[in-house]
Amino acid sequence: MSFFLSLLLAGISVGSIYALVALGLNLTFLTTRTLNFGHGSIMMICAIVIAYFASLGYAVPLLLIGSLALAVFLGLCVERIARPALRGGGSMGWVVSTLGFGILLQGIAAREFGSQAVAFPAIIFSAADFFIVGGVFVAYQYLVVLVVSIMLILIIELFLRRTRWGHAVRAVSLDAELGVVNGLPVKLIITMSFVCSALLAAVAGILVAQVGGTVDPAFGFNLVLFGFVAAVIGGMGSSVGALVGGLIVGILSKMVAGYVSSAAEHAVAFALLMLMLAIRPQGIFVQPEVNKA
Amino acid sequence: MISNRYNRLTRGALLAGVATLLLAAPATAQQDPIQIGFTTAITGPFNEFGEGYRRGAEIAAEQWNARGGIDGRPVALGMVLDDQLVPDRSVQNMRRILDNPDIAALIAPSGSGPTLAIIDMVEADGRPMCNTQAQTPLIIWPNGLDQPPRRNVFSVSIGNTVEADKLGEALVAGQYNHVGILHESTGYGVTGAEILKSRLEELDPNVTVTVESYNQRAPDMTAQLARAQRAGADVLVVIGLGADLAVIRRNIARLNLAIPLYATAGGVTPPYIEGAGELTIGTRAASSAVMAANPYPAKTQEVLDAYVAKHGRDRWWGPDQNRAQIAIASTMLTGYDCANLLFSAIERAGSTDPDAVIAAMQETRDFPGASIESISFSPEDHDAMTTAGLTVYEMQSTPAGLTLVPRETAN
Repeated sequence: MSFFLSLLLAGISVGSIYALVALGLNLTFLTTRTLNFGHGSIMMICAIVIAYFASLGYAVPLLLIGSLALAVFLGLCVERIARPALRGGGSMGWVVSTLGFGILLQGIAAREFGSQAVAFPAIIFSAADFFIVGGVFVAYQYLVVLVVSIMLILIIELFLRRTRWGHAVRAVSLDAELGVVNGLPVKLIITMSFVCSALLAAVAGILVAQVGGTVDPAFGFNLVLFGFVAAVIGGMGSSVGALVGGLIVGILSKMVAGYVSSAAEHAVAFALLMLMLAIRPQGIFVQPEVNKA
Repeated sequence: MISNRYNRLTRGALLAGVATLLLAAPATAQQDPIQIGFTTAITGPFNEFGEGYRRGAEIAAEQWNARGGIDGRPVALGMVLDDQLVPDRSVQNMRRILDNPDIAALIAPSGSGPTLAIIDMVEADGRPMCNTQAQTPLIIWPNGLDQPPRRNVFSVSIGNTVEADKLGEALVAGQYNHVGILHESTGYGVTGAEILKSRLEELDPNVTVTVESYNQRAPDMTAQLARAQRAGADVLVVIGLGADLAVIRRNIARLNLAIPLYATAGGVTPPYIEGAGELTIGTRAASSAVMAANPYPAKTQEVLDAYVAKHGRDRWWGPDQNRAQIAIASTMLTGYDCANLLFSAIERAGSTDPDAVIAAMQETRDFPGASIESISFSPEDHDAMTTAGLTVYEMQSTPAGLTLVPRETAN
């Protein structure tokens, strides 16, 4: 039982990280039907800036604020870079432009901060801080990630369903051209979705770097892959779907690693992705789109 | 009059000087450097290895040139390419190096994966190559340890076999009943785990072994650790690199696993200390015995002095002003040894002909090394590191910071 609980808690912990990444991917998808493949690099650069300057003795609270400001700037940059490609209509343009932006950020980080991992400071809890549930040790660092993920999902859901701006975002997600005709500030909504997505990337980067203990220029790339899988399983554009998808991927991969083989831990996520695309491509929480001619 | 004569003399002397220089110039220009080449992880997340050995090889080349080179010819690191420890890039880089006929000898890439990727093409090419860091025995012994080694490949690295012997001895001496081995899913990790498991079973048939694997850069290793814990492991051995070892150590803390942790020499490097901090205290590993000697052997001291003069007491050196960290043996010193051995063999061979250099390498006896006190090769044995060349260390918190100290002197 203890073994099962250990795997379950590890799965929930890792799954909440994937959910946080999926949530960021979802925001841009909601308004533009595009994915920001530079999302992982924004996670990385916001975390590495904190790690590097903290090692030089700068105050961590100031660095956190600076990192979030940097995320806003990077969100605006991604939107500016992807905008011409978005107008073109094809998917190739924004894939290449956001991916290219991510690689550029990696190069800048490697040049400015070095290509080696930089130790990330323990902001709230250390790796050795835990409490015991049913004989199983639960790390506070993972608990923080889970709580933050759930809180962000609640905030986003409340925003989308209970505010006028949220209704405007949903309208743009359904038909941006009709939104323009009705006088909605579609450009601003799209820009803000990129900014909010970048802010979520920064929060995810900071929390995940604290769990791992280090951050390097390649940080974030693998997480974006698993976050993408989580988003597809839950349904692209759905916040609740991001959480459920993340938890499914996290728990299933830990269970397979624990009960079948640790070598199969990561393969199971992609097997799940293929299965999902075959039987329910729109994901668990999204209804299939119907186009009426 | 005197002035004219003086001027004529001056002009004559100048002309004679210019003529001498002109005559000498073609002779100097013909002294093309003797070049060695390599591809390694100069940048990237594992560059503590590649950049470290590049610095060591550079010091060796500078020392040879300060002594006048080889028979008057300077030596040089002719081609130094960056592969970031990615096997595909190692292959592309090594192809470029092998296409250059001016490269007389080679140093192997950092790590078993990239080295295994290029080893067959290097063996087919025939030029001598020295291995600094790759650990799998397949690099030297492709057909098994009882078969002849590859003709042109020599090694000073801490191979999986000798490391397994040393760790096996320490684990059996520790009277553990169940050893949990966690290894990365690379050639280095897989062969290392297989060899350690079989060595442990030879040394003590009563010891049971659980083997789990993980992917490099995985963010969480809870499942592997939980499996080892469920199997009853009372000690863990990690065969992997520093950044991943840090993740594992942090996971051990989260699970509150209170069992000893052993690691390979490739793990107890700066990324491990930076990533896991105080949690590293108590971690044990086998590494070069020269670093435990006090004072250091003469050659080790000479190279470390040269390193400090050139680079200062930096990340490769470690936190202690007086003693270099143990990891410098497998990062920088092995690079020095490989370049020094190759230049020495070329000098003794009297040519850069591969067959002559390989023969000279095989005749190397009691050669003073920086990472191994005395290096010897023979036609049957191209691997210089022996179990006696290793010591078990333990991570301790000292006034200078976190550092490995020899196990027998650890608190």
